Amino acid sequence: MSKDVIGSVMVVGGGIAGIQSALDLANAGFLVYMVEKSPAIGGVMSALDKTFPTNDCSMCILSPKLVEVGRHKNIKLLTLSEIESVAGEAGHFTVTVREQPRYIDMEKCIACGKCAEKCPRKVENSYNQGLNKRKAAYVLYPQAVPLKYAIDKDNCIYFEKDGKCRACEKFCPADAVDFKQQEKIHTLEVGSIIMSPGFKCFDPGIYERYGYGILPNVITSMEFERVLSASGPYEGHLVRPSDKKEPKKIAWLQCVGSRDIREDAHGYCSGVCCMYAIKEAIIAKEHAAQDLDTAIFFMDMRTHGKGFEQTYNRAKKESGVRFVRARVHTVEAVHGSDDLKVMYSTEAGELLTEIFDIVVLSVGLEISDEVKSLAGKLGVAVDADGFAAAGSFAPVVTSRPGVFVCGAFAGPKDIPQSVMEASAASSASAALLASSRNTLTREKSYPSELPVGGEEPRVGVFVCHCGTNIGGIVDVPSVKTYAESLPNVVFAADNLFTCSQDTQENIRKAIQENRLNRVVVAACTPRTHEPLFQETIREAGLNPYLFEFANIRDQNSWVHQHNPEAATRKAKDLIRMAVAKASLLEPIDSLQIEVNSNALVIGGGLAGMSAALNLADQGFKTYLVEREGRLGGHALHLGKTWKGEDVGAFLSDFSKRVESHQNIEVLRGAEVSNIDGFVGNFTTTVQAGSETREIQHGAVILATGGRPLETNEYLCGQSERVTKWHELEYLIENEPEKIAKAKSIVFIQCVGSREPERPYCSKICCTASIMTAIRLKEKKPDMRVYILYRDIRTFGQREELYRKAREMGVIFIRYTLEEKPKVEKHGDGLLITVKDHVLGRPLQIPADYLNLATAILPTEGQKQIAQMLKVPLNDEGFYLEAHIKLRPVDFSTDGVFVCGLAHYPKPVEESIAQAQAAATRAAGLLGRKTIDIEPIVSVVNEEKCIGCGLCEMSCAFGAIRLKKIIGKGFRAENYSALCKGCGVCAAGCPQRAIDMKHFREEQILAAIQAGGAAA
Amino acid sequence: MSEFEPKILAFLCNWCSYAGADLAGVSRIQYPPNIRVVRTMCSGRVDPLFIIQAMQDGFDGVFVGGCHLGDCHYQEGNYHTLKRMDMLAQLLDESGIGRDRVHLRWASAAEAHPFADYVTEVTETIRKLGPFDKEKQRLALASLARSLSGSRLRWLVGIDRQVTEKLNVYQEKTDPEYFKKILQEAVQAEYQKAMIQELLAGGPITVKEMSEKTALPVYTVSVRLNELERVGMADIAGYDGRTPKFVSPAM
Repeated sequence: MSKDVIGSVMVVGGGIAGIQSALDLANAGFLVYMVEKSPAIGGVMSALDKTFPTNDCSMCILSPKLVEVGRHKNIKLLTLSEIESVAGEAGHFTVTVREQPRYIDMEKCIACGKCAEKCPRKVENSYNQGLNKRKAAYVLYPQAVPLKYAIDKDNCIYFEKDGKCRACEKFCPADAVDFKQQEKIHTLEVGSIIMSPGFKCFDPGIYERYGYGILPNVITSMEFERVLSASGPYEGHLVRPSDKKEPKKIAWLQCVGSRDIREDAHGYCSGVCCMYAIKEAIIAKEHAAQDLDTAIFFMDMRTHGKGFEQTYNRAKKESGVRFVRARVHTVEAVHGSDDLKVMYSTEAGELLTEIFDIVVLSVGLEISDEVKSLAGKLGVAVDADGFAAAGSFAPVVTSRPGVFVCGAFAGPKDIPQSVMEASAASSASAALLASSRNTLTREKSYPSELPVGGEEPRVGVFVCHCGTNIGGIVDVPSVKTYAESLPNVVFAADNLFTCSQDTQENIRKAIQENRLNRVVVAACTPRTHEPLFQETIREAGLNPYLFEFANIRDQNSWVHQHNPEAATRKAKDLIRMAVAKASLLEPIDSLQIEVNSNALVIGGGLAGMSAALNLADQGFKTYLVEREGRLGGHALHLGKTWKGEDVGAFLSDFSKRVESHQNIEVLRGAEVSNIDGFVGNFTTTVQAGSETREIQHGAVILATGGRPLETNEYLCGQSERVTKWHELEYLIENEPEKIAKAKSIVFIQCVGSREPERPYCSKICCTASIMTAIRLKEKKPDMRVYILYRDIRTFGQREELYRKAREMGVIFIRYTLEEKPKVEKHGDGLLITVKDHVLGRPLQIPADYLNLATAILPTEGQKQIAQMLKVPLNDEGFYLEAHIKLRPVDFSTDGVFVCGLAHYPKPVEESIAQAQAAATRAAGLLGRKTIDIEPIVSVVNEEKCIGCGLCEMSCAFGAIRLKKIIGKGFRAENYSALCKGCGVCAAGCPQRAIDMKHFREEQILAAIQAGGAAA
Repeated sequence: MSEFEPKILAFLCNWCSYAGADLAGVSRIQYPPNIRVVRTMCSGRVDPLFIIQAMQDGFDGVFVGGCHLGDCHYQEGNYHTLKRMDMLAQLLDESGIGRDRVHLRWASAAEAHPFADYVTEVTETIRKLGPFDKEKQRLALASLARSLSGSRLRWLVGIDRQVTEKLNVYQEKTDPEYFKKILQEAVQAEYQKAMIQELLAGGPITVKEMSEKTALPVYTVSVRLNELERVGMADIAGYDGRTPKFVSPAM
């Protein structure tokens, strides 16, 4: 570790993981260099149409983050750039970066697109997976950040023909084309490096029998994403490539390139393909003008994440997606047409053929050769599959100190997991560089606010198409024209994506050119996008509260998909209401409160300990509350991780570090009895035996863990031969003679999971049972070991364990929910009857022991804590995070974060990564002296107030109180720092003397009146 | 003729029902396109006056959505909402408009399906009631607005939980049933007085005329009028023969 610690970090790769890391660190006081090899950031996520399981529009949720990176004062973007070499050590690296010329001057380019329009050279559009053409002068995608064109040297006529053509140069109105640009070498000093280079899609060309590359309507899943996308080659119209015909039948073939041990393919499971295929099938059905038949051909359906199984069920029951358990052996052309013949055999051995219009190959994730060579340059070790080698207990730490990893390069994974790891990598970096925080960063400044008092309202309205999300249902151009006709509206525009960076520029321009003093955006929902637009108008000199949102997507186009006229009418009404309210909006000054820099972590399991240790390492005093007498939680029962690491050994060392850390105070045998306060200023009462303690803290992390379901199914609790979870491991460990005598042991999976009353998958049970099965086979190779399962879900590189178990002779038998196994006592042992899925007839298995993988539930008491903090739980009782994709550890309530099993069942490395992510998010808050709080507070009209005190009585926060005024008696007074802005006092005041800023009576009434009026 | 499409105003609280409505969108759960949403931070911001205003402005019904009791982001905001909506329902019944025009439902941020179901159910209920005739109900609406602007009902509904669940200044608890009775009487009295005040504002008018227009017995009108006279809210303007005519006092 260097003594001269540099307060900057290099993030290599500008996909969603890199973006999250960069934002975390830049907001926590570190300068970030983001190195991206393509001309724009955004990565794979920018090219996806929707994201599972919520089918959120991918661009819509990503775009605010792209914009934030693009305009962040403490993030320096280096596009078209790659790392050459790295010298130095943790804390102080010297990195050489090679930046390729763009041949466009970024300072001058105004992104008008003239260069692309005039460029005579058409080339394959790789962003659209080659499904259409772009020009040699191009922008990667319409919402790209930075939104600057580039010239593709390899395809440009100027470079091919020695200075000929120059069409772009001639027509560029900004004089931005510069053919003389040379590559640049940057030498940068950074304290740490985060690698987030991402994955590439598997190339299915090796499977000749699928005809990819020969049959035009056999496409990859990534190509299909572009087909579905509104900004894709077919503008979101669902047609097939060969003849642009609307398909009637589409097939998905799963595990293409994954779970296949031949050379050129990958043995691991890519972990995301089942879910994206389901998503694509549902979306395709929504897009299709006519009835569309969709079929997914699969081996095991792996819907193991939060909300995934429910999506799978909905796809089957509500969307009518067909799921066919079969591996397709051949796809052929139907003679004389572009249709495709799909040939497959069922489990019963029956050979079947079906004709489809499109076949989508669900290709896996792999690490490209370039990324492997990058790892080589950085001296970072990779495993046999090319993924960065990282241990379960330090999931973002690479073999080289000071270099961290996140996203798909650390193993195949989905977006939320990538985002969590990204924040975990940020926290590891921040802990390493804690001493140099705030040494290289600059504060953001805004132009002084334009005075709007006394001026007539001049409202600008921006209506979003949201790709096809709104525009596909609502007649956006007519809505825009309508908005222009409304009182006080002096400007209206419609945009493909109102949240993209270029639109932010357009909004700022429109404010200046039209002297707008109020802005209305009609788009998705204020809950996710209001802050973005408030920031934009602030940059244009408007107070952020001169902004109003009309929700015409989440509460309109998405819920009235079959009624475009009504949806258009409703959009107009909602905009009329928003404009009426906006016309009466007034500027509100910001409010700041001090932040207590202590943290509280509830739950002393692996997740809670990881979060506490990370915060403590970053210099924050942390209280760790554990209900039991010792730290460790569920990890105390674990033997090994799936990678084979010894959990017990790690845990004893880890608990010692936690307990002896000078910044951590552990409260054992303690329970939280009350939590008061709000972000930055919580007071928590902790009861430890007879002792009661009050703890003051600025943030709280919920790591309350989980518990296995207690059941009486399958004779559980009625026979000592029926065990659950780690009880069998305990027997192996402590009563080996019993196991030595056993001839046959059976496992039953999904006990209480994936059932109607508990529809989720508990995620870790398949791997756990397979590990125990392998252990049994290793101890006693002639033992018969059976695993009765519904789908084997050894996601990611865990697939290796599944293969190993089968090779060792573990017998896997699939059962269905309708025909569960039957367990009865049989002499000393058990007799288990199950219908064999291959033979199709009942099989009787005598067993010495039966081990049950019961569902994982949230702990008891989770509900009480949720109520104390007013944070939501999902249907199954797990904490419901702020956004399942991009805010996986946050709540809508500021200052509260979640990690570990309390959020959803998950393996050790995911719990630790999530805990570190929660620590990063908390540290971003605790590191500040003050934070801005919402200044939406109540105001008292002293002339009307008679001092009755009803407001004081009804305020739950003590934020409005009577004060004595000489000569007037008592009058109510608002205490802004305590006021939460609910408005209970205003709506109840007997004298109607109280109003709420931003939700003033006249503003609400104006909206109501506008809404009631006929259009 | 196509089926009547009611126009319904919805107040949704930011943290639960508005979030639940967004989740319905994310989950693509379809529901009738009849609601127009006004977002408030808490359902406790919703002054019953806003609801009457909505009916005066052309809405056929109103939907108020809040967090489940105990889950309010502001701890108790929705309890206030519950009390106010209960009082409003009594007033609406008193006025003859009926409580079915206004509906209160709890929907959490995770309850997309229940939210969509509530909107569907409320839309169908109001569709069955038919269009709200605000012209015909002019007197009723004006009287509702007047009674809800006055301090008596606002105070009573605001103090309810304090005296029935907590303690009053004398450290006593009031029997909830007793309090309910007081509130019911106040609702009736305030509404009746408000109607008479509305008529007086357009006076001079006789007791008999007032009785016809309000459908209240002559005796009731006389009692309320007397109450108003005592606090200087009604005056004799002259006589029609021997019948006195009343007006509101000149301001």
